[in-house]
Amino acid sequence: MSVPKDSPLPKRTIAPLFWLLFGAGGMLSALFGPALILITGIMIPHGWGVPERLGSYDTVLAFARNPLGKLVLLALIALLFWHAAERLFLTLHDMRVGTVTVLRWLTYGVAFVLTIVTAVVLLMVGF
Amino acid sequence: MSERRPYLRPQPRTWWAHPPYRAYTIRELCGVALAVYGAILLAGLVCLARGPAAFESYRAFLASPLSLALHLLLLAAALWHMVTWFRILPKTMPKLVWHGKLVPQALMTQAATLLAVGCSVALLALVVVVGAWS
Amino acid sequence: MPDTTAKTTIELRILRYCPSTDTEPAFGSFQVPYSDDMSVLQALQEIKATLDGSLAFRWSCRMAVCGSCGMMINGEPKLACNTFLRDLAPGPVTVEPLQNFPIERDLVVTVGDFVKKIESIYPYVMPKVPKTVEEGTYLQTPSQMEAYASFADCINCMLCYAACPQYGANPDFIGPGAMALLQRYSSDSRDGGQQARLDQIRGEDGVWSCTAVGICSEVCPKQVDPANAVNQNKSNSALDFFLSGLRKESVT
Repeated sequence: MSVPKDSPLPKRTIAPLFWLLFGAGGMLSALFGPALILITGIMIPHGWGVPERLGSYDTVLAFARNPLGKLVLLALIALLFWHAAERLFLTLHDMRVGTVTVLRWLTYGVAFVLTIVTAVVLLMVGF
Repeated sequence: MSERRPYLRPQPRTWWAHPPYRAYTIRELCGVALAVYGAILLAGLVCLARGPAAFESYRAFLASPLSLALHLLLLAAALWHMVTWFRILPKTMPKLVWHGKLVPQALMTQAATLLAVGCSVALLALVVVVGAWS
Repeated sequence: MPDTTAKTTIELRILRYCPSTDTEPAFGSFQVPYSDDMSVLQALQEIKATLDGSLAFRWSCRMAVCGSCGMMINGEPKLACNTFLRDLAPGPVTVEPLQNFPIERDLVVTVGDFVKKIESIYPYVMPKVPKTVEEGTYLQTPSQMEAYASFADCINCMLCYAACPQYGANPDFIGPGAMALLQRYSSDSRDGGQQARLDQIRGEDGVWSCTAVGICSEVCPKQVDPANAVNQNKSNSALDFFLSGLRKESVT
């Protein structure tokens, strides 16, 4: 069977790239998000169920200096931003706040910058 | 021949704020709450890099009632994200056929949600054990 | 006398539009004899037969098979033949043409754009290697058929398009119905047209305009689950996106 070729094929969009980052961040935070927020935001700071010293400067520094710890922090923080960037982009687009290009810079652009910032800070913390 | 003059009713600008689309918008905004949590973590890292004094003030903020309220809100958003995430999951997957029968999407959602609860509980248990042991 | 008529009639508020006389659509009200086995379609037929012969609407099978009588009933996309007055009593019942589509006249909307979208995704089996008659038929096991059977149930009623806010915002979006049909053919074991169809939906107005609202599947009268078709193809299109670089290298 011949394929009709009456109109040019649509131009490929870069959206799959953002969608993959969105999916990775969404899956990560669906699996571990509630526990992470409970641990770092509620249990450790108030010493509920775990000793408060888990949040001390020395412990956190040791974690952030560990190469594996660095990787976990970078992946977690960056993917949270990329996940939210996609969702915020779609919602702002739904609200007709601006054009697609402007909104992409406003959301994915910020996620990109924050990813770089996270990586730089993790390097500044040292090894 | 009668006249053709198709009339297109414009979509209301605020469609996303009204049922049946409101739930979808809330779901999307719960995803955005996760970025706030990411920002809190990043702020902690920045304070960590600036030294012990900066990090102590970050810890003081985390121990404040304001931070507790904020984190409870974020926790609620994260839980809703988890629930809605696995509701959509079967939509993104190929049909599963098990012994010649289609696996119902509700079952896939339940299994995945259970797995997520397991992951979160395992992480919590790990931290509690590490905390008690350290 | 007024008491008995109040019990045996129901009010239908119908959005009317006549292109040669009206500048914009406006509601007209009709009192229709009510019985609890009557569908909205029967009420419309009653109006056309006894109250206003100029009322325009599409219908054919009266049994949720042909997909002609889709309209907004109390704000929800429904098949008029499949929606009963007893569930809407005491009324009034609001009847409007399908949302997101241009209105031709009264409850009749323009479908040409939808038909073009269906044509764009090659709605037929495209065998990898066509067989001659001597070679026999294309065989398929029941479980291979199970993989696409539900997507083949689509009756092109366009209720999913009326429910989809992204189609409402962007009429160029390929939309749920065409994607369900795409999935019907692309997941057919006899088909080899997957790449050709992926090429048609890879753009901004293709599968990537979907934001997974999921309401298309909720309003579908045949449980086709177009949201499943669209989102599976997001995965397929993403894979195609990342493999396209490699493929181009191997071709040139």
